[in-house]
Amino acid sequence: MDEKIFPRNLTARAAMSVVGNPVSSRLESGVGVCYPGLEFDHRNLDRRFFPGLVFTFVSQDEADFPSDQLRGAELVSTDLCDPELPEVSDVSGSLHVQLAKDLREALTGEVGDLLNEGSFFLESLKQGKTRISMRGQEGTPLDGTVVWRLVRSLRPEPLEIVLKWRKKNKESSRPRSKQIVRLKGWRRSFVDPDTGVIKDVFRAGELTQSMCSPWQHDFRDCGCHYWASNHPDIVLLENPPGEELLPDKNPANPELANTPVDWLRSDRSQFASVAASGVRSKNRPYQMDFYEINERWQDFSFVLEGREISRPYTRADDLSKNPFNSPQTLAERLFKLAELEHVLILEYLYAYFSIKRPDEIDSGKYPALRDDAVFAAHELLIVAVSEMRHLRWVNQLLWEMWHAGIIPQLGPSLGVAGWVPTADKKLRKRELRILDPETLQSFIAVEQPSGTLDGQYARVIATFRLKKGEYPMADQWAQMAERIIADGVQHFSRFREIKSVLDDYIDPNAPVGTSPPYLRNLELADPASARAKQALGLYRELIKDLKAGYENGDLEDAKYVVNARKAMTDLKDLGEKLGLEEYGIPLFDGLPEPKE
Amino acid sequence: MSVSLVQIAPVAKAQREQSVQLLPPWMHILEGDPPLLFLVNGSQLFQITPPMEGRLIRGDRELESQLRRLASVPSQDHGTETTLIPHKAVSLNLAQHCNLSCKYCYADEGRFGGTPKLMTEVVALQVIDQLFSFPRSGGHVVIGFMGGEPFLNRPALYRVVEHARSLSLSKGVPVSFSVTTNATLLQSRDLDLLRDNAFSVTVSLDGTADSKDGLRIFKNGSDSQEQAISRIHPLLDRPGRARISARITISRLDLRVTEKIEFLANLGFRDIGVSPLRTSPDPSLILNTEDWAIFLREMTRAGEIEWQRIKGGHDFRFANMEIALKEIHRGSSRSLPCGAAKDYVSVDAEGNYFTCHRTIGDPRFVLGDLESGPRPESRSAFLKSRHVDSQAPCSSCWARYLCGGGCHAEVIQAGRQGCDYIRGWLAYCLRIYNQISLEKPSLLEQVTELAHG
Repeated sequence: MDEKIFPRNLTARAAMSVVGNPVSSRLESGVGVCYPGLEFDHRNLDRRFFPGLVFTFVSQDEADFPSDQLRGAELVSTDLCDPELPEVSDVSGSLHVQLAKDLREALTGEVGDLLNEGSFFLESLKQGKTRISMRGQEGTPLDGTVVWRLVRSLRPEPLEIVLKWRKKNKESSRPRSKQIVRLKGWRRSFVDPDTGVIKDVFRAGELTQSMCSPWQHDFRDCGCHYWASNHPDIVLLENPPGEELLPDKNPANPELANTPVDWLRSDRSQFASVAASGVRSKNRPYQMDFYEINERWQDFSFVLEGREISRPYTRADDLSKNPFNSPQTLAERLFKLAELEHVLILEYLYAYFSIKRPDEIDSGKYPALRDDAVFAAHELLIVAVSEMRHLRWVNQLLWEMWHAGIIPQLGPSLGVAGWVPTADKKLRKRELRILDPETLQSFIAVEQPSGTLDGQYARVIATFRLKKGEYPMADQWAQMAERIIADGVQHFSRFREIKSVLDDYIDPNAPVGTSPPYLRNLELADPASARAKQALGLYRELIKDLKAGYENGDLEDAKYVVNARKAMTDLKDLGEKLGLEEYGIPLFDGLPEPKE
Repeated sequence: MSVSLVQIAPVAKAQREQSVQLLPPWMHILEGDPPLLFLVNGSQLFQITPPMEGRLIRGDRELESQLRRLASVPSQDHGTETTLIPHKAVSLNLAQHCNLSCKYCYADEGRFGGTPKLMTEVVALQVIDQLFSFPRSGGHVVIGFMGGEPFLNRPALYRVVEHARSLSLSKGVPVSFSVTTNATLLQSRDLDLLRDNAFSVTVSLDGTADSKDGLRIFKNGSDSQEQAISRIHPLLDRPGRARISARITISRLDLRVTEKIEFLANLGFRDIGVSPLRTSPDPSLILNTEDWAIFLREMTRAGEIEWQRIKGGHDFRFANMEIALKEIHRGSSRSLPCGAAKDYVSVDAEGNYFTCHRTIGDPRFVLGDLESGPRPESRSAFLKSRHVDSQAPCSSCWARYLCGGGCHAEVIQAGRQGCDYIRGWLAYCLRIYNQISLEKPSLLEQVTELAHG
């Protein structure tokens, strides 16, 4: 509107939106959730559902030490300033006038005195012909959340309530006549029927008093994980001084490297830190309280890369690594690295299928082995999937460099390397093996930081960082390579954890050749057998789809990716079935023999 | 060459009239200082600047399209009444009979064209039972007593109040009561009933101190005003929970409004309304075309005095103005002039339902009988036919959603009269409302309270 215009009456004002607070800042546009509330907590309306009384709905569902005695709608106070209980009767002629008069008389008299001494809870509601008790079938009080729901369902009409005294702590008993109070009133209308304005019985701030303030301290109890409440919950501890570190600055000790702790823990000393429980209520006793959160906010740590940090952050990569002298050389190396990622995928998957599943394990003899086997299999699969991501990222790097015009088309690289680095920087021939201790050790070796694999990627990063001018998207490409290295460190940690868990089941005195109790004795299936053919068919199909997808360059191409995923899922199912029969998929079948 | 002003003026006027005709039908400009803009849809009132007024008068399409967005706000009350809920108010014509013979009585001295009769208790209680039989989640009901003179049937009146209170308690449905009376038969126990049950009492009184027009007379021809005043006086003195209002009928014999309001205010009435006579057994009393202009002047004069009073901190007493301001404040956008047949119905002495108390006995307005109650289809058909957008010339009148089309009974019986007066009165009230917004916005809270009440 390019002319000044002044709205006068309500409809004119409603029609005009002026520059200033947007519609979304108005209460009527608010999201009146109750968890506990983003704009206002509409449970606070029901606290005053009965004129002259103020309740609070007490839940014990998440209490550390739940008490039935505390459950329900507790009377907080009487309110003789309630506008619906005026001192002088109005002249509306409505039924409520008489009720209001009687109610006021009761609350200003003995009944009010009684209610203000001791703890009273809502015992029952009666509206019309319907009476609802606030106790369950066994007589235990209903939780406050349930009582609130029942109160919410009342109509704004006459109502009778019964309040009952509950003894608390060391209170002395009282005679029965002073334990029960019956009141007649009505369920309040919370808003004016004509204007929608909230009744002025609610004091300023009352409706928003229990709002969550996720950017202050209440995020501790945020149950809806509203975005602003996001904060670190489970983190890794900062490296203690003097602790042996890996090149990426993570502790060499796998337990220290991998034990998650609660970021909200009250005891911040290193040695008192316990692993965070997976259940919120179990962590709660050890967490900071709200006042502590406000007072000791400086004690909270920054978290980088999942680990608490209090010292200045330094990059873990070593830019002195010898950069590749040309994009072509770099690309050729990436091509080879992709093949290496591929062979690791196959070796890890084969090993994964060699771990027994829970129902194959005799828990009588090894009570914890079922869980440990599940853990080991899960971790191994995570590593295998991570390698699959690396395979894709490396191919993406090749594709992007080709499309940037700095290399000819080299990819996709979906071959399988014949040789795998070992701990002493030598090479071993690729091999499909069950996850015996020796195999596990070789997996640790290939993933070790500053190992061959790691070193190769470090050269890639160094090339992108130091020769930015030759690579149009050097920063992004470097980040991708950095991510691969970071994952590699995690693989190293995971394998070491697997080892620390499974070592308990290795009997050093067992005869040579004794299989650990968590292992299936997989035998390579005959490639000509029906099941092996089927499995190999799926594997080759998924490689074919990946190739087509990577060639097209649109790596999100739905058609090929969907097909590849389906084949992958089917392959995993088939691998499980074969593993149960103690056959392993001959994944290297058909590949050229590795050259010496 | 000079052009005389005489020659210019008609041209300018013609141009202006032509310009005004360019105004779209969804807006209306109230000329003056400052100019006001009224958007019909939603009854939205704006103060605008003189340049903007000029642009609109000249037919500025761009500005119109900007305003169009405001004008498209959905109004409150429009549309056909497709989802009728049970009526919540009923008036019982306890006595189709009266002790007075007011010369302008629309009810034919209470007889409504028939023989005098009183409603039996059986009929009355059955009507009340029907009223309470509908589910009323969160609502309340209103029971009115009309006539004729309802206090001619005192036993039924008392019995209905007792029965209604009992039902109210048992069903949890609040009830309030109203009565329209000539006050001449009131006894002290009646006053106690009115006080104790928080009645809204409407007293029909027309006079001034020197009023001897002899319109409100007993059957013997003597004036009833003095007796009425003496009988209502104790209630005015000590109202208790009762709310008392006076209703003045203005005939063409005496169009003075201010003096009548003043007179009744001095008697103690704090709520005084005025109604111009449009239908009457004696047509010589009805306002004619020339009278309406005078009446408008009288009303605005009373309005000015009322404005000065409330500006000075006094309470409202001129009900017409109070109600108009309330409706303007809310932006009332009514498709009907009142609640007749919608929220409110009326019952004759035999239990037949009619659209309102003005239409008792008229077969054009019957809705049902004692057995059936008011039939939804009859209510619906009546309301659809009376929608203001389907009336002529209402459908093109800028004030239609504030007015609603005028009393159904009067319009159907005697045609639409005094539309210019209504527009003039509403225009005056709109301007007063704007003045309140500027000079005493705190008064709007009072108006808001009225809106809630």
